This record gives sequence, structure tokens and C-alpha cells, in this order.
Amino acid sequence: MNKPFFELKNITKYFSKVIANNNVSFSINKGEVLALLGENGAGKSTIMKILYGLYEADSGDIFMEGVKQKINSPKDAMSLGITMIQQHFSLVPAHTVTENIILGNVKGRIDWKAYENEIGELANKYGFEIDPKALVKDLPVGLQQKVEILKALHLKTKLLIMDEPTAVLTPQEAENLMEFVREFTSSGNSVIFITHKLKEVMEVADRIIVMRSGEIHGDLKCADTDEIELSRLMIGRDINPPARIEADSEADSSEIRLQIDGISVVENDNISRLNNVSFNIRRGEIFGIAGVSGNGQQDICEVIIGALTPSSGKILLDGEDITNSSIREIIEKGIGYVPADRHRDGMIMDMTLAENMMLKDSFGEKWLKNKFIDNNKLKNYTNSIIKEYEVKAPGAEANAKGLSGGNQQKVIVAREVNNGSKLIIFNQPTRGLDLGAINHVHKTIFKERAKGKSILLISTELSEIFGLSDRIAVIYKGMIQGIYNRSELTTEKIGLLMAGYTDDKEV
Amino acid sequence: MNEKLRDLIITDFLAIVLGLTVSALILLFLDKNPVESFGILFSSIISDKYTFAEIFVKATPLIFTALAFAFAFKANLFNIGAQGQFYIGSLIAVSSSLFLQGKMPSGIALVIVFLLTVIGGGIWGSFIGFAKAKFKANEFLVSMMSTYVALAIMNYLLRTVLIETKAEYPQTNPLDTSMWLPTFIPGTRLHIGFLIAVIVAIAVWILLYKTTLGYRIRVVGRNSEAARLAGISSKRLYIIAFLISGSLAAMAGFTEVNGVQHMLLQGFNPDIGSAGIGIAILANANPIGIIFASILFGALKVGGTIMGQMSGIPSSIIELMQGFVMVFVILSYFVRSQLEIRREKRKLRKVVEE
Repeated sequence: MNKPFFELKNITKYFSKVIANNNVSFSINKGEVLALLGENGAGKSTIMKILYGLYEADSGDIFMEGVKQKINSPKDAMSLGITMIQQHFSLVPAHTVTENIILGNVKGRIDWKAYENEIGELANKYGFEIDPKALVKDLPVGLQQKVEILKALHLKTKLLIMDEPTAVLTPQEAENLMEFVREFTSSGNSVIFITHKLKEVMEVADRIIVMRSGEIHGDLKCADTDEIELSRLMIGRDINPPARIEADSEADSSEIRLQIDGISVVENDNISRLNNVSFNIRRGEIFGIAGVSGNGQQDICEVIIGALTPSSGKILLDGEDITNSSIREIIEKGIGYVPADRHRDGMIMDMTLAENMMLKDSFGEKWLKNKFIDNNKLKNYTNSIIKEYEVKAPGAEANAKGLSGGNQQKVIVAREVNNGSKLIIFNQPTRGLDLGAINHVHKTIFKERAKGKSILLISTELSEIFGLSDRIAVIYKGMIQGIYNRSELTTEKIGLLMAGYTDDKEV
Repeated sequence: MNEKLRDLIITDFLAIVLGLTVSALILLFLDKNPVESFGILFSSIISDKYTFAEIFVKATPLIFTALAFAFAFKANLFNIGAQGQFYIGSLIAVSSSLFLQGKMPSGIALVIVFLLTVIGGGIWGSFIGFAKAKFKANEFLVSMMSTYVALAIMNYLLRTVLIETKAEYPQTNPLDTSMWLPTFIPGTRLHIGFLIAVIVAIAVWILLYKTTLGYRIRVVGRNSEAARLAGISSKRLYIIAFLISGSLAAMAGFTEVNGVQHMLLQGFNPDIGSAGIGIAILANANPIGIIFASILFGALKVGGTIMGQMSGIPSSIIELMQGFVMVFVILSYFVRSQLEIRREKRKLRKVVEE
């Protein structure tokens, strides 16, 4: 047992221009629970997809018990005893549990009775309460995950990879899953967990690999480390804050512009996406919300811009209740919104830059002359924006999809800065951008604050939050963990808050 | 923009030439000299005023049905039911003409008939948009099936209330000449319906590219999620787009009934709906391009009739020709998008390098 079960050596993977994995090497032993910890976009899923044969590495090798292996497809991986459960399950909802489990591994006439019994026994063995004849679409998410696990067990998996397995689970279900993991590994099998949740890691993992920007930044035994060290490794110390411009006037002396009062968003299956969120933003203030992505940031944005109706709570803009205003009314009231997903939410890729410029004003008179669209005015304006924001584009008539991400983002920022005369919401404004574009966006944010506008900055980049915000809130599972002045927070403290620990007690 | 237009013209031209070349090969199999056959074809089209004008007569309804498809397509909707909307338009045109004729000056009567046709076709079309907006029905299927409903309504009415006085054939009485659309070239059948079609095509272009309604329709068509976050309700626009699309197809009913047939009979123009789809694709859904593409298809139709009159050539050769042209036209669409992607990249690289 001196050879590790699986070993990855010097794996490197490029996605068009981005390097997703840079020289990544690690191993997993038999009977071990390995946690792959890192922020979104750190390259965790990519390296696992390479091991599972979904992606092909540009360089590097994979060894099984010391023997070099070529894994070109999930089928190859499965034949080596590897199964990966994706974050989004790959089940056929209209089929039964049994049909899903044997899918792809049966030939000819199927002896349903035998398979159903076999799966029933397998489920019993691990204490899963699953009827093999139930339709997958009728099962709650927690049980669907168990179907995925049964699928892996049915294949006699020896290495189970799970991508963010607890993201969709209730705390009890998560606890059950942890028990299963312990039982599964006690018989010599191995599990790799992909996660960004520190608590889980400490609870179940034997060894922890910390990844950041495609590289490994730590390979530690669980017993030798603690949350503080892990969060530091995960977030990184090389914070490079943008040049900060202090506000001219003291922010606290000025009036409140946006007031969020006890906003909750509860979905039908009573999972709350936002839980009693309250904060306010003053004139000329940059209010930052930090947190690991997927903790309710998108919901906050959508509630404010009127795209999502809160279950309870109130939103006031300059004292006026805008809780139930439509998206159109909110736009007209002067709230700009730079969405996180610019392809889906922010731009029409098949239209020209000029046409994209009037996206939010199609009901107003702004671009009209005698009731018709004034193309010249729009074109001249867009060209002036291209100059002012240093957008690298052939001109106002260029299609948006031809631009690089950073330049597309500049166009959206320009439009929303123009729309948001009172408040501008920036959701992940610099994700995926190059340094030059990041700088430009940051400068724009400061410039707009100087004009007295209020800024809501939502980011998972701590350096950005620290560098720009006047006050910082931390969000975790739809709840505000606390609101702090910038100087009150340290990287360690914010890391813990983001992981769900509050000041004095554990939640 | 100019480069795009240039690509469109070049690729369309090549597609047509290739389509005709392959058709010529088919003629070879029939032991006919294709050069000679095409020669006769072109000379008889050009030498005869009546035949030449017939091209535009045939093009007129195609412009409308192609516009109907193209307009909905801009909202990323598929209106496959232009044929049915055309039947509804024809029914309204013929029944209101029969009712109004002799009761008022023909000019006023024709305007009223036109407006009723447009409104009726619009209501018929908006049902499809409503089903899409309200019940998330698949507009492709609903619009396709609506054609059969319209056909059944037409057949029923032609055998009952609208049937001719003799009650012999399932067709209406002929319209009074006062209800005919005036022709504007003597000695031909070319009626002012063609001019209406050209004006409507230009109006559709203005609506799409010069008004905020058209802008919103295009935004919803390209990215409905971004549209939603910009406060644009896609549901409302689905209904509006189908309303306009349906009224465009119905206009073909008006020009065909009042301009060409001067009556309504069973099995009337059964293929202009499907031809309209092809024409819209040929023209890249551009309303102005549709005018020219429709004229081309009008010419193919007229040419088919002439070729059918030549000895030994089956008249179905023209369907082959149309089919081949269509196949190459659709291929040209992909060639064009490739060309455009390459050009955009080149442009961008130039800017970045500067």
C-alpha cells in the first residue's frame, strides 16, 4: 500500500485564453476522503472532469496504483472504478430509479425483478429509503442524489467524486450524506469532495487540497489545520487593492438613498433564498456585499430591480416604497444594474453596440426623433462611449458578440452608469476581465460615487470588496452575517463570516 | 453593413446559379438540351409583356406570406401558419366584397375590405400568440395546425353560405368588376396589389428598424432574458408579433381574391405559405430583400408554366428547380454567417493591434 490509489501529475489545462489548471499534482489513497477546497472558478471541477474523462488535459499524466492510465471518456473512468456525481444530476426524470441506475449497463432482455431486488438490497445496505420502482421526478432532490450514489455503487465504484454535493441538501440530508461517506470509505473506497464550504471539509475530510486560480495552494491533513488557515489559503494573501479614492464628503452625514427592510424570499418548497435581509445605502456611498457566490447575491439584485417579488419586507428608494414596482418603473426611477451574467442578462449579442445602448430606454423618448429611432444620435453617442471607456471595438455598428468580455462589460457599465442616476448595482463587475478592464471599471465606480450616486457592489473578490467599499456586509445562505466599516474587517475575519461563522458563535 | 449586403447578394446569386445548374443537369437526363430549354424560357419571358407582368402577379402574395414569416421570425417565433391566415384573409375579402359591392363607391369599398381583411387576419394570428404567451404552447405546432382549421372553415363556408348561386361547385359568385383591384399596365393582369405589397414591405422594414416597438420585438427575439431585465414583457410582444404577422399573410388573401381570381374557390393557392418561408430565408428575413426574392420565385413559377408547355418536359421540373434553389439558398445562409464571423474577428484584431 505504498503506491497511492490514484495520482495526478503535472496536469495543465487551457480554456481558450484562460488557464484552468496549472501544473496540478496530487494523489488520493485507498479509504481516504479528500476534499478539494477552493472558491468558484478555482479549477476544482476542471481537474475532476479531467480525471473523469470529460475534459482532456493539455499536459500531464494520471496513474492508478502506479500504472499510467489514459482516460478519454467517462466510460474509461468507470472501467477503472471512478464515478463522478455532477452538481446537476444526470438522471432521466421520467424513468424509474431502477431504469436510471442500470442505464447504459444492460444489454438484451432485462430481468426487471432481479434488478429491482438487487437495487433494493443495495439501498437497504446503506440505509437509503428508496423504492426502486419510484419515478425519479417524484423524488425530492436529496433522494435523487441518493439515486446517483446508488448508480455509482451499482457500478462497484472505488473512487466516488462528488461536485458540491451538499449545495442542494438540507442540513439533515447533508448529515446523512456524511455518514454514508464514512461508511463507504471504511471498506477501502475513496471519496473526493469538491466544495467551498469549510465546515463540511473539517467534518468529513481526511486530507484537504486547497486550490486557487488553477493552482494548488495547500495539501494538508485535516488534523493539522483549522478553518482560519484554510480560509487564508483559499482566499489568498496577495490582495492587490485598487487605488482607493476617498469620498469628498463624509458618507455617514448624508441621507439614506436605498433602504432594504427585512426582505425575505421563500420558494415554494420553503427553502428561503433570502432571509430577513436589511441594510441601507447612503448617498455617495459604496456598499459592498461579500460572500461566496450562490448565497443569495443574485436574489438581492433581482429583488431591488423588480425582477423578483419578495415574500416579505420593504424596499425604499429616497423614502418612496418601490417594493412592488415593475422592472420598467425601477429603471425609470434611476437604478442601473450591471448583471453578473452579461451574456444572458445584460446584452443582446447579435445586435450592434448602438442597439445595445438603448436596451433599457426602449419605452422612453430619449432616442426618438419624430417618433422614430434616431440612429445617428444613437451612433454618435455610442462612438463617444467607445472613446470615453476605451472600448476596443471597430465602432458603434459592430456586433456585441465580436467583442472580448472586458469590452462588452465596459459597454454595459457605460449604459448602466447612464441609466442609474441614483443607484447603480454592480454584480460581479470584474469577473473574467483582464487587469486593464478591471481598473477601468473600478475607476468608473469611484467616479460615479463622487457624483453623489449610491453604489451597491456585490463581489466574491475580496480584494475588490476591500478596495472599493465604504461599508461591507457579508452574506451567507441568504442571511446578512453582519455589516462592518471597512477598517473593522480583516481577511481572516471575513473568510470566517463567508463560511458561515459569526463573530461569537457558530450558526 | 455594406459588406453584409455584398455577401448576401453574392451568396444568393451563387445559390440561384447553382440551383439552376443542377436543374439543367436534370434536363440532360430527359435528353433535352438545357441551354436551349433555358433559352426558350428566358426569351419567352422577356419577349412577352403579359408573361413578364405575370412574374409580378405571382410575386405579390409571396411577398405577403414571406413578410408574415419574417416578421414573427424577428421575435424568434415560427409562424408556419401563413397559409391558414391567407385563407382567413381570402374568406373575409370575398365575403365583405360580395356584401359591399354596389352599395358604395368602389374605392371606399375596397379600402373597407382591405381593413377588414387585415383586422381579421390579425385576430386569427393573435390567437396563436396568445396561446404561446398564456399557455406556453409551441407556436410552431399551433400555427401549423391552425392552417387546417382555417382550411376546414373555408371548405365549410364554400359549401354552405358562400356557395355560388348555381350551387354547382364549392366556389363563390364572381365579384362585380367594381370590386376588382385596378390593373396599372394595360394588357396584363398586373394589379395595384403588387404596389401595396412593396409599400407594406417597406413599412415593415420601418416598423422593425425605426420604431421602438420593432426594436423590442427584435430584442425579445434575440435574448428574452435580457429583455425581461430591461422591463420588456415578451408575452405581450408575442401576441403583437403574431397579430401583425397574421394580418400580413391575410393581405395576400385580399390581393389574390380582389386582384387575380375575383372569386374564391376550393384549393386556392395551396402552396404560398410554404413558399413564403423559403423566400423569407432566401432574403435573410429582410423585408426589402423579400421583395426581390419573391420576384425571383414569381419568375420560377411563370417559367415552370412555360417549360411545362414545351414538349417532353414535365411541368414538375419547376418544383425541382425551386427545390434546388431553396437548398442552395439555405446553405448560403451558413456560408454567410461563416464569412461574417471571420470578418468580425479580422476587424477586431485590427482594432486590438492598433
